[in-house]
Amino acid sequence: MLTKTSAVLSDGTKISDLIYPDTREVQMRVLSDPEIYELEMEKIFGKTWVMLGHESEIPNSGDFIVRDMGSDSVIVARDKAGEVHVTLNVCPHRGMRVALTDCGNTQIHKCIYHGWAFRTNGDFVGSPVERECMHGKLLEKSELGLKKARSVLYGGLIFATWNIEGPSFEEFLGDAKWYYDMLFLRSDKGMEVLGPPQRFIVNANWKTAGEQSAADGFHTLTLHRWLGEVGNYSKKGEDEGEGADLSPEMIGVEVSSPHGHALRCIDLARKIRRLTGLNPDELSVQEKLKALPPAGMTQDMIDQLANNLSEDQLKVLTSMPPQVGGMFPNILFGFVYIPQPDGSVVGSMTMHTYIPRGPNKLEFCNWIFAEKDAPAELREKMLKQTIQLFGTSGMVEQDDSDTWPHMTLSAKGAMGKHMTLKYQAMFETGAPEGWPGPGIVNEGFTKDDTQWHWWLYWNELMNAE
Amino acid sequence: MQHAEEKSLDISQGPYVPVGSAEYSAVVTFLYEEAALLDQLRLNEWGNRLATDLVYTAPLRHTRLGVDHAQSFVRSVQHFHDDYRSVMGRILRLSGKSAWAEDPPSRTRRLVTNVLVRETENPDELDVTSYVLMTRSRFSEHHVDIISFERRDVLRKQADGGFKLAKREAILDQSVLGTANLAVFL
Repeated sequence: MLTKTSAVLSDGTKISDLIYPDTREVQMRVLSDPEIYELEMEKIFGKTWVMLGHESEIPNSGDFIVRDMGSDSVIVARDKAGEVHVTLNVCPHRGMRVALTDCGNTQIHKCIYHGWAFRTNGDFVGSPVERECMHGKLLEKSELGLKKARSVLYGGLIFATWNIEGPSFEEFLGDAKWYYDMLFLRSDKGMEVLGPPQRFIVNANWKTAGEQSAADGFHTLTLHRWLGEVGNYSKKGEDEGEGADLSPEMIGVEVSSPHGHALRCIDLARKIRRLTGLNPDELSVQEKLKALPPAGMTQDMIDQLANNLSEDQLKVLTSMPPQVGGMFPNILFGFVYIPQPDGSVVGSMTMHTYIPRGPNKLEFCNWIFAEKDAPAELREKMLKQTIQLFGTSGMVEQDDSDTWPHMTLSAKGAMGKHMTLKYQAMFETGAPEGWPGPGIVNEGFTKDDTQWHWWLYWNELMNAE
Repeated sequence: MQHAEEKSLDISQGPYVPVGSAEYSAVVTFLYEEAALLDQLRLNEWGNRLATDLVYTAPLRHTRLGVDHAQSFVRSVQHFHDDYRSVMGRILRLSGKSAWAEDPPSRTRRLVTNVLVRETENPDELDVTSYVLMTRSRFSEHHVDIISFERRDVLRKQADGGFKLAKREAILDQSVLGTANLAVFL
């Protein structure tokens, strides 16, 4: 039952009553309630732009991949003209899935059940035994195609929405686009996947992962504490704190948006100091780029940056680059600088989506990227390193995927579901002086604001008509 | 089916070491001991059995049509893409204080069967394929995660009559894994 002002659950609880703006709390019921989950499929995944993959996964005419928009399977296919189309993977005849494989190449998608056939853009071609007209005469052929989603490419990333008349993708990104462009639009040739995504199931509500990707900095200190205890992160320069203390990594600038997007821009000065022995305050933008190219780029590639980014963006990229964060509702990105045994740095470029698979289940989907013109040796290093740290067997993210199921279980308790998630660590700083970028910006040690803004947008969408 | 035969092409075609022979038994003993070490969390002892030029991988799997079966094995992005150094790094982490993905540890059983051993061009090395059904129990969950895979190993003979693991490719069966991570070795 829905009212104009607020979605109401069957026991009379308003969804907006589960969010406490004055104390910045969220009632844990939202992590387990099946009714809320069903509403999310309509009001969140049916309305926002959803990431499905990258166009480099389907380079040739006829290539297709099968992906998920919320709880719906979709076909993402490239046509003869090179355009990418997203269509619902449901045969309009009797509801059979049309594409049954993870990927493939075909100009005609033919349903195995009764043989209805569709083009890469979803248009209905025909049904078997044309003269018998299995598809009848009540509807025009033009009405019998696969349902088409609205799609867009951004830096080659494929996004789609069922909200045909809704906000444009640029409006959806809003102020955060200025920052995302530094990651996805920075190079001349753009980025590409190093292979298909890793996929695995976590028995947790999708929002446990979704809210974390809205730039949860604090969890790194404790959950990922091992980074400071063993391995290359534990080796610190002088005056940088000892051993397990990861707190210097918590300092930077955090950006959030009214649309729930979030980025952690982490201070690069320490890394530059360690690599060059120079004072980063005395280095020009070019010198800093040369000392430490953006994650995934080489010195040879840094001249491209000025072709694609503004001076202001370059300033941020060389002092406080966005390194981790998310895009609402279920995307995480990591463009991180990983220290190597020899003291150098190798970048990792990774993106995840957390696909809802029911109130208590999500599918973790992990793509690994490199710049198209990155040298082969760097790509190989990035591929291995990223697999070893992130995704299925990743030593960092193993710990995350073992945490979210417990939160989901907690949210099922008769008492537990009334407990709250708290986002009460609040910035009192604002943007650094002279900060050139837009958005809601705060500097200093990480806080909860970005995640709280994520929930505010969730609440807004859940209560929208 | 015709295409089903293509799958075996990337397995060595050397002559089989007869099932039940002394060499075969030595290989099976190595695999059983290895399973016990891993299931008993004796990771450092397991690490001692790895060759320093180890290649340790686990391809992704795709659901493909029968004619495209060979492409159901994805070796670009994989679930594991490791070497000796990185595997020892994983052991170091898991032996530390804060590896929460496996602390408390999973209770695992690695059931190793269908062992076939072939000679290779290198007299010191054997190609060993086996099937593994691994069960993984965590916390008080009553169900266990089932991780099923085929191992394609290269074992290298040692002077003392034992073996070291020089190569392992774990070919998982699921295109979407039913376990929350691979913080356990395959």
